[in-house]
Amino acid sequence: MSETHTRHWRLIDTGVLRAAQNFAYNRALLECHQENRSPNTLRFLRFKPSALIGFHQDVRQEIYLDYCLENGIDVQRRLTGGGALYFDEGVLGWELYLDKKSLGTAQMPLIAEKICTAVASGLSQLGVDARFRPRNDIEIHGKKISGTGGAFDGDSILYQGTVLVDFDIEKMLNVLHIPVEKWSDKAINSARERITTLKEEMEHAPQLEEVKEQIARSIGDAFQVDLNKEDDLLEAEKTLYEQALNEIDSPDWIYQHNRPRDDSSIKESITKTPGGLIRIGMSVDKNRSHLKQIWITGDFFIKPRRVVLDLEAALKDTPLSEMETTVRNFFNRNHVEMLQLKPEDFISAIKKAMSDDTVTHQKVTS
Amino acid sequence: MDCNGCEFLPELYYDDEYQIWLRREHDDSLTVGMTDISQTIAGKILHVRVRRPGTPRPPGKPVATIESGKWAGPVPNFIACTILEANPEVLENPNLINSDPYNAWIARVSPDEGADRALKGFLTGEEAHQGYCKRAMEEDIHCHRKYR
Repeated sequence: MSETHTRHWRLIDTGVLRAAQNFAYNRALLECHQENRSPNTLRFLRFKPSALIGFHQDVRQEIYLDYCLENGIDVQRRLTGGGALYFDEGVLGWELYLDKKSLGTAQMPLIAEKICTAVASGLSQLGVDARFRPRNDIEIHGKKISGTGGAFDGDSILYQGTVLVDFDIEKMLNVLHIPVEKWSDKAINSARERITTLKEEMEHAPQLEEVKEQIARSIGDAFQVDLNKEDDLLEAEKTLYEQALNEIDSPDWIYQHNRPRDDSSIKESITKTPGGLIRIGMSVDKNRSHLKQIWITGDFFIKPRRVVLDLEAALKDTPLSEMETTVRNFFNRNHVEMLQLKPEDFISAIKKAMSDDTVTHQKVTS
Repeated sequence: MDCNGCEFLPELYYDDEYQIWLRREHDDSLTVGMTDISQTIAGKILHVRVRRPGTPRPPGKPVATIESGKWAGPVPNFIACTILEANPEVLENPNLINSDPYNAWIARVSPDEGADRALKGFLTGEEAHQGYCKRAMEEDIHCHRKYR
């Protein structure tokens, strides 16, 4: 049972909207919060099918634009950081507008952990084993069910995430540049090993209202607040929303180029080891020399199976110069059973992918 | 000079929350960067974007935005100014802000009303040192740059 608290936050639910509308709300609510005009707020939201890039990303480097245009998928830029995403109506979005001071810490990673842990605990009330996975995911048995990200402005923060309730993985592969071979059963299976939905975990799609209720209750408990549902926004928020929508719902905002178009590439390698074949697919930001995302597959024996997924998560957004240390630290920290396979084998396989220019292909589509 | 391991340079100018530092240059322009406290709170910085040279920025409108982990947000700006240039090394390797925040400047700006007037609202020297330490202590912020 949820306790009663003396502090109150607002709860709003804006239903299914276009991405531009959802992000115009992000800007309006964050700005009003920063000016002390809006209270701390939890918002639930959903999206019409949309490809969403992170605040500093370039559309053409992250998504297959032609596919989106042909299939009526909205393309938008988020206010929050992180990578590109595909959302549709089967994804439940949640977001919090808070002041850093009420969180008891100013450290961004700790804020993310506190919020993700609360949401994971809410999801677990539905009968699944959801947990926070550093740095920004919620997972069930190693498979990602929720990705999150934040934006800040002065003392105010917006922290947002998703829950995959029922999700079209195949469509996601068509929309996003993900480091796997497209159009193959293997790619779809690899994605299914890494991503899960509530429908899959619970063997039926839960009622959205129930999911929202559990998340709201858990956030209330974690932050010791009561959440009061409100149907209407403040006038100041509505005015700012209209202004923000004008700016965000435009090609200038969506397609702004933040960096050279050729600085991102997918690299691959296949390495034979005594323990089996290791296949690496990874996207690398060449200008900044960091590894953006990696998928590790193969026929090697490793136990528990989720180790590979956790290693992928640990390597996300890592400078290439720190790759080796990250892999070694990961194996030192975790108890892993491997058959004729050593941490060095993963390091060599990743190094091989890093140096193998012959398989590099630009992620830029025209 | 440091507080909780967070480096402080008395010759620079700081906002009252010690998020940014400003340095006056010989040509009356100002150089802007993030403080050790600020980069510690932000975590590993992955992207920096600076507005184009020539862009006017009123107080409250950021000179630059940063992204760390999955967080994005502005490097706060408190003065009316025009962007002169971004630090190309930092644009290419934003992590320099984490490893060397006082050398890894982000942008150089021209204050509309001159450096003297622009710097009036900022803190420097011993007064700034005390405020900087107070924030580090009160919010229990520890910088570990030297041990990285």
